[in-house]
Amino acid sequence: MLEVDGLTTRYGAITALHAVSLRVDAGEIVALVGPNGAGKTTLLNTVAGLLRPASGTVRLNGDDVTGRDPAALVRARLALVPERRRIFRDLTVEENLRLAGITASKADRRRRLDEVRELFGVLANRWTTSAGYLSGGEAQQLAVARALMSDPRLLLLDEPTLGLAPGLVDTIFELLVELRQQGRTVLVVEQNARRALQLADRGYVLRTGRVVAEGRGADLAERADLFAAFVGVGE
Amino acid sequence: MTTLLQNLVDGFGRGSTYALLALGISLIFGVMHLVNFAHAELITVGAYVAYGLSTRDVNWWVLIVAIVVSSVVASIAIERVAFRWVRNASPFTMLLTSFAIERLSHALWQVLVSPKKKSFPGPGWAFDTWKLGSVRFEIMDLLTIAITIGVLTLTALVFRRTLFGIAVRGAAEDFDAARLMGVRANRVISGAFAYAGFLAGVAAVLILMRSPTAEPTLGADWLLKAVVAAIIGGLGSFSGAVVGGLALGLAEVFLRSYLPDGTPQRLTDAFVFGLIALLFIARPSGLFKVATAERV
Amino acid sequence: MTDPWWLRVARSAAATAILSIALFVAAVVYTSTGGSARELLVKELLVNLMLVLGLQVFMGNTGILSFGHLAFAQVAAYAVAICAIPVATKAQQLPDLPFGLGDVHFGPLAATLIGVLVALALGAVVGIAVARTGGLAAAMITLAVLFVVDQVVKNWQELTKGAGGLSGVPILRGTVWLWLAAALAMFVANWFGETRAGRFAVATREDEIAAPSLGIGMFGARLTAWTVSIVVIGLAGSLRVQTIGSTNPRQYTLDAAVLVLAMLVVGGMRTVTGAVVGTAIITVGNETFRQLGDPQRLDIERFPDLFLGGALLLVMLVRPGGLLGDVDLAGWLRRATRRPRPAAERAAPARSAALVAEDVEVRFGGFTALDGAGLRVQPGEVIGLIGPNGAGKTTLFNVVTGLVESQSGVVRLGEHDLSRSRPHEVARAGLARTFQNLRLFANLSVRENVTIAALAAGRYRRDEPPVDVDGLIAAAGLTEWADRQARTLDYGNQRRLELARAAALSPEFLLLDEPTSGMSDDESAAMVAQVRTTAASVGAGVLVIDHDLAFITRISDHVVVLSEGVVIAEGTPDEVRRSPAVAAAYLGTHA
Repeated sequence: MLEVDGLTTRYGAITALHAVSLRVDAGEIVALVGPNGAGKTTLLNTVAGLLRPASGTVRLNGDDVTGRDPAALVRARLALVPERRRIFRDLTVEENLRLAGITASKADRRRRLDEVRELFGVLANRWTTSAGYLSGGEAQQLAVARALMSDPRLLLLDEPTLGLAPGLVDTIFELLVELRQQGRTVLVVEQNARRALQLADRGYVLRTGRVVAEGRGADLAERADLFAAFVGVGE
Repeated sequence: MTTLLQNLVDGFGRGSTYALLALGISLIFGVMHLVNFAHAELITVGAYVAYGLSTRDVNWWVLIVAIVVSSVVASIAIERVAFRWVRNASPFTMLLTSFAIERLSHALWQVLVSPKKKSFPGPGWAFDTWKLGSVRFEIMDLLTIAITIGVLTLTALVFRRTLFGIAVRGAAEDFDAARLMGVRANRVISGAFAYAGFLAGVAAVLILMRSPTAEPTLGADWLLKAVVAAIIGGLGSFSGAVVGGLALGLAEVFLRSYLPDGTPQRLTDAFVFGLIALLFIARPSGLFKVATAERV
Repeated sequence: MTDPWWLRVARSAAATAILSIALFVAAVVYTSTGGSARELLVKELLVNLMLVLGLQVFMGNTGILSFGHLAFAQVAAYAVAICAIPVATKAQQLPDLPFGLGDVHFGPLAATLIGVLVALALGAVVGIAVARTGGLAAAMITLAVLFVVDQVVKNWQELTKGAGGLSGVPILRGTVWLWLAAALAMFVANWFGETRAGRFAVATREDEIAAPSLGIGMFGARLTAWTVSIVVIGLAGSLRVQTIGSTNPRQYTLDAAVLVLAMLVVGGMRTVTGAVVGTAIITVGNETFRQLGDPQRLDIERFPDLFLGGALLLVMLVRPGGLLGDVDLAGWLRRATRRPRPAAERAAPARSAALVAEDVEVRFGGFTALDGAGLRVQPGEVIGLIGPNGAGKTTLFNVVTGLVESQSGVVRLGEHDLSRSRPHEVARAGLARTFQNLRLFANLSVRENVTIAALAAGRYRRDEPPVDVDGLIAAAGLTEWADRQARTLDYGNQRRLELARAAALSPEFLLLDEPTSGMSDDESAAMVAQVRTTAASVGAGVLVIDHDLAFITRISDHVVVLSEGVVIAEGTPDEVRRSPAVAAAYLGTHA
């Protein structure tokens, strides 16, 4: 579904990604892990169209979508749940969701609002509350719910468990499974590297803008030298 | 008591014009971080359009529509032609660009039409008066109140109920996040300019109905106060802009009325600006908006 | 470290002389083939130049937009008028002049001096407000000031004769005084750029967070630039009224302020040369368009606005930094007259104070960033601070350096309590830092970046031995790029520059926030030596945050691990690397 080939992205004077290649097949959950500054967010932002790569291609179901505007990618049924959620705090939960459904027809939008309302009971209780008043866990659920409003086939999630209590982390991981069951494809960047890799079908380890390890999720999770690969100390 | 009421009516009249203009300025700032010093030039556009049409002996209701429509069109055009190119530049550059446009506008009207004031017939019927007790009302006063309340209500509806309005508010808070939802950058910015143009057009109607003259520097007279009102209220805040504009209008009228008799009228402007300067020293980010922390 | 004062004065004089002579020659050529109209244009140009230079000293060096400078020129002009108009003529225009001013009469020199002083008196008051706020708010304050002064002048009839203005001011003979005044304005503007105060102001313009991190107080730097600029603008106003012979409020409207602004910005506000070029272009262009507009049509006053608006728009769209950008005669002279300084024999100072943070708590709204974290760095030690994302490492840095307020806890440098200190105070006490997002003075050269820190050390850390700027630049491997603008350097060099600049503050401790972020493994390895050498040369201990464990391992004597706002492990790099608790913090536990 997603093919990233030789992607190089510069961020000011830094080269954040050095010819990174990865792929995500339809129906998979792929985990992308690595230390900070590795370029994981840069990668997702480039795929989602917020950043323009200096070279390389991004293909969505065979179509070359490199450098396309984020709004166009949403219409191509790709959705990004950004790092730190970036929900609209001045808008209510409902307004956040309606806005996220802007690419849909009125009927579809209404239907999806109902579906989301059912799926995220927590949000149903806060429907007309300003999003700024939501707790961390509620905000994260809103962020995912927003992404679902455009009925994406491919979901990118950037550190969805950041700052959440353990119980809520569980909820998020369950959500990822639910998404796969809905037939969607997921590429998730995660802090909880081991857990995410165990859950995922496949995984990639990114460090200083390069892929340093890849393979089946469970294999990577069990690797003794995972920490070493993560932080870059040879033993 | 009657002076109070009279002052309130006058103050509201003036203040509502400021509020409408300030609202447009705040709206544009919200989506682009641009303080648009050329915004009041839209009034000038409306004035000349009205002047041009009035020579063909046209009904004032038609003039009203024409003024508003031309303001909307001009606003969208200015964004397309100039501001789009400096969209990601520093606020300083954007500010100076808006100044450049203001200058060009003044010059163009002089060259294309005339440097002299051009008057045209006003809506006489708007100045029939009523008496309510000992207070004199003109129809114009009531019309001003009605139109202002109507437009503000419409604005509230648009920005709370319609998807367009929600998109603009979202984009004002976090432009990139809005794009990630599928909002098209160009559309939301053009839309914001269009609506700001609508507000300026209504303000122009209120101004021109009372004072039907077109001159190249018409906008400049209103610009300063409108910008100040928007900033007092905190740029980007709708309620702030409205409150700022009304407060400014009321302050002007009341100060004029209550300052000691010897004080020249225009000194009231000095007082107002002096107070504003003090306000900025005390609360640099305006009354309503809270500054966000910068990431180190 | 800095060039001797006489060399700096000489450079300013030379730059001034070159610009003045160039202008003079052009003026002579121009007026030789015309009538008095051309002479008038030259006078107008010189007056404009002084106004623009007055604005340049402030705006160019602080980056803060000011609409209000013209107000002070106006104040000076009226002060001069009241002093210089012969008593009899004055009595006719201002019969009710208060404060006994009706009887005063001064010659041109004294009147000019009074004009400048009056402008300064008023300017100082406004300057305090402007320097405190900065940014858009400051610009709006200046706008308000412009308007207030305009209204006061128009309405205080007894003092100013209102909107009609005052006339009868003795006109200066010939143009010699005007040229001298213009040259003086140019000299002051150039010289200010050579002073430490001028360099500090430029630092505040370039980066509002990095400047205080070097000990530079934002308020003081801005106020100084403002004050000097008021002196020049006061001079401008004084000369203007004595050139035209009259003054009235129409000369000092918002229109006029925008015109001066445009002249400054079109050429490039950061340099004196730019200001001169911009003034020349706009003045000549304006006049050309004015003549084009006159004969045929009816009285098109605003035709020049077409040129002004057009020129301003074009520059903003195409070259927002101004036509000249940072191209500067004074800067060129600085580079040309640099004398290589012999490397100072400098023993690293002996340090005794430890840097301590204890029980620091920080909450942002409902989120607890730090929950009783603490650490200790001994003099000369290198401590690595690691931890997963969101652990609170940068927050701890920000608390130590005064950027973030802690709800409780203590930060101490030796005996000196820094818990409530602001960033510039912390820097002056001896803590220098670098930033995660790199905060260089982008438009300044490598050498200028480092020199500003050295100047700050010279001013605020006097007990330290003088800083070897060239040595630090060489140690960072940046000698061949010393005169290039910081923003043109490649990333690795930019990081090294930031390190060198922090070291130039001669600090007791260097706090480095992810210095190898974005670097390749090779560059990170080189950075180890870089940090060690630099720190040793200034005798500083080091506290470094980084995610590159290879780098941390090689450089640290001791490592502290932070996770979710608390310290979860401490020890030697090897101990920490092998700790399962640390691995768990980074990788998360099994489901």
